[in-house]
Amino acid sequence: MIPGPSKQLKTEIKILIIKTLGISDVDPDDVDDEKPLFGGENKLTLDSVDALEIIMALQRQYNVRIGDQNLARQIIRSVTSIADFIYSEQKKFNV
Amino acid sequence: MIIENFKHKMAAHCESGTITSLLNHAGLQISEPLVFGISSGLFFGYFHKMKSFPFPTFIVRNKPGQMRINIAKRLGIKFTGYTFHNNDEGQRKLDDLLKNNIPTAAQVDFFYLDYVPTWERVHINVHFIVVIGKEYTDYIISDSYFPELVKLKSNLLDSSRFAGGSMSPRGYIFHVTGIPSTVHYEEAIIKGIKKVCFNMLHIPVPFLGVKGIRLFAKKIVEWPQLTRDNEHLSHEIMKINILLEDQGTGGAGFRFMYSTFLQEAAEILNKSELGDLSRQLMEIGDDWRELSLFAARIGKNRDLGSEKIGQLSRLIMNRAEVEEEFFIKLSKVIKKI
Repeated sequence: MIPGPSKQLKTEIKILIIKTLGISDVDPDDVDDEKPLFGGENKLTLDSVDALEIIMALQRQYNVRIGDQNLARQIIRSVTSIADFIYSEQKKFNV
Repeated sequence: MIIENFKHKMAAHCESGTITSLLNHAGLQISEPLVFGISSGLFFGYFHKMKSFPFPTFIVRNKPGQMRINIAKRLGIKFTGYTFHNNDEGQRKLDDLLKNNIPTAAQVDFFYLDYVPTWERVHINVHFIVVIGKEYTDYIISDSYFPELVKLKSNLLDSSRFAGGSMSPRGYIFHVTGIPSTVHYEEAIIKGIKKVCFNMLHIPVPFLGVKGIRLFAKKIVEWPQLTRDNEHLSHEIMKINILLEDQGTGGAGFRFMYSTFLQEAAEILNKSELGDLSRQLMEIGDDWRELSLFAARIGKNRDLGSEKIGQLSRLIMNRAEVEEEFFIKLSKVIKKI
């Protein structure tokens, strides 16, 4: 099995997004891990301001830095892509 | 045909990313932050009343094209560039260069790049891409904003190269024609930093450098009087976020990229003070990002009363104070080397 981010990390990320954006009508379990967070396909539909809020929340919560917005666009595409990034950053410091 | 050994890479900014890709292909292993720093890319300018801008705006980098000029001068690199009077001539020259396996950078209008999602496509005449091949009527493009190579129809590349309006590219293309056998990074880094310190602290123009940030802080309180209505004001205030974060700035108006450059400079020059300053600039960048988010939030929520605009003004003024202190320190460290 290829190691990767845990389900728990993905749930944590979903809770963080919902809490950061003050969303009250979406349950973390309703958010699809794979579907894009932008463009209306997912239960959560975000815009560029939300994206910046999430980047800053991720930086604070996981002590990571997402400086480059082109990279940021790739990272915050979906819950899974965020989790992959956090997982790879955590792995760097645990090696 | 496609130039097989060209390595496509994403970058934080189109111009520094394009130059980096061309130099890497030509055999000079240099990072994008180093290109940005050596070419004195970091800047600030506030334009309250200018004919070319319908509304006050600001810039956070030096003028388009200047990075290439500065990096050439400071590292002894030779670029050859061409502009054209007609489109056919422009396409022929590009095709000739590709036939000779020469990756060629092109200045283009972003609007015609149909691989960009429609909602992101705006008329900006100063986007840079690298053309690395042609298959029938499609050009193969390395656009540093995209994770993979993309294709663009020749008529669209033509439209983007010969778009009219402000800073029209006139078909401009350039490529590397010479890399010196020995590259002296140390001297180039020092010159690059000195120029940025001069631009931020001493340039004798009241709207540039730290003086420009202060002017921005003072003048933004007048923005409500310059706008048609609250919608227009909200649009202009949210543009602050776009200019700082969303236009290939590497984050926080290029402050994060310059911080990475200072870290690399600290290692090359073996000067730990530059490493300390790199960390300080990263924190300064974090606060620019907070400011950017504040502007985006109040714009999005249409919460644009005088209290909020005043708060935004104070945040900008604070950036001026902090950056002045930072560049004085950087200037002192670099003078001692």
